[in-house]
Amino acid sequence: MKYPYYPGCTLYTKAKNLDQCARRSAEILGFELQELETWNCCGAIYSTVTDDLAAQVGPIRNLVQAKKMGDSLVTLCAACYNVLLRSHNFLFAPGNEKTRKRLLDFLEEPYDENMRVRHYLEVLKHDIGWDNIKNKIKKNLNGLKVASYYGCLLLRPAGELKFDDPENPRMMDDLMANLGAEPIDFPFKGECCGGYVLINDQDVALKCSKTILDSINASGAECVITSCPLCQYNIDNQQKLIGERNPGFKKIPIFYFTQLLGLALGLEGEILALDNHCVDPKPLLSQKGLING
Amino acid sequence: MLEERNQSNEIINLIEELSGQKIFNCFQCGACTAGCPVAFAMDPVPSQAIRMLQLGMVQEVLDSSGIWLCAACNVCGTRCPRGVDYAKISDALRALVLRSKKNRVEPDKISKALIYDAPQQAFIAGFRKFVG
Repeated sequence: MKYPYYPGCTLYTKAKNLDQCARRSAEILGFELQELETWNCCGAIYSTVTDDLAAQVGPIRNLVQAKKMGDSLVTLCAACYNVLLRSHNFLFAPGNEKTRKRLLDFLEEPYDENMRVRHYLEVLKHDIGWDNIKNKIKKNLNGLKVASYYGCLLLRPAGELKFDDPENPRMMDDLMANLGAEPIDFPFKGECCGGYVLINDQDVALKCSKTILDSINASGAECVITSCPLCQYNIDNQQKLIGERNPGFKKIPIFYFTQLLGLALGLEGEILALDNHCVDPKPLLSQKGLING
Repeated sequence: MLEERNQSNEIINLIEELSGQKIFNCFQCGACTAGCPVAFAMDPVPSQAIRMLQLGMVQEVLDSSGIWLCAACNVCGTRCPRGVDYAKISDALRALVLRSKKNRVEPDKISKALIYDAPQQAFIAGFRKFVG
């Protein structure tokens, strides 16, 4: 099975470890991520300003490209997922007929309502199925206590995304349980990490991340998974500063969910990109016998 | 006085149009502020900002620092019992300021360390929200 795939800007550079493992894991699980022939940045954050059509052109251009390959588009980055899905909804919102015509006339390409923007996790759960994933496991993640951090962009606005319960999401927890790991619950699963406020006020973003990390540490988890490169940055790289400012702060490794998926499916070495982290996850993984060394 | 009032009505209409939200639907329960992850640093907090708009204090809200801390995480709108999405209102407020050519963040003042370190997603999203 082939799925049109939109990687987005960050997955080619800072978030290679989110992308690489996902592509290889897909092959093992029997589907292929077929990258769009041409694509551009989605804008990284959805603009809700009703007349801000310039911000809609980027994401819609990607959707139009995807349409040439099929009726669905798969993404991995939570931000791309959020933006592309909401831009599609914007086009077909009641009362937006004129705006839709204007945007599509501008792009000079055919497009219609029959398009589903999907997250990789939705493909895993609904198309592949947890049982099939279980059957392909090479290394059971037995004994690894994982906190799933969803953040905002996968969950809200819940009515539009319909990804999972916005107050009590389970999708990544279920994936971890099926890979043999122990999912650890904590109350700030869907709390914002501060996101792009980072560049306006780093201290505020730092506090948001610290609240989440404190909650995870108190829950007894040994590591965290996420699907958003900005969440990853805020809760991984920022631990350095949080640690400097808060003596006694316990550092915890932050993975992309695709890295643990890949690990369980038997991926090894460079492809896991375990060096691409601020808090080194290798000691934990070797202690659990999941990697050598 | 009457003239001032008409002006503020006009701008409230514009904010409602740009955000798609009905500002007078808010009955001040405070659920938005209770859930807001940045409320600790926000001034005014979401429910206060909406109340100020209801009272016509538009300029005070536009001049405030609070609107620039919204991370668009959407907890407020998801939990609002009256269907008011403050994230959309603050997006509209910021657009009004940015369209008057006032940047919140000057790209060349961002620290080199952050530029080297953070993912481009942070800058693209940040420029969308803080640079006109």
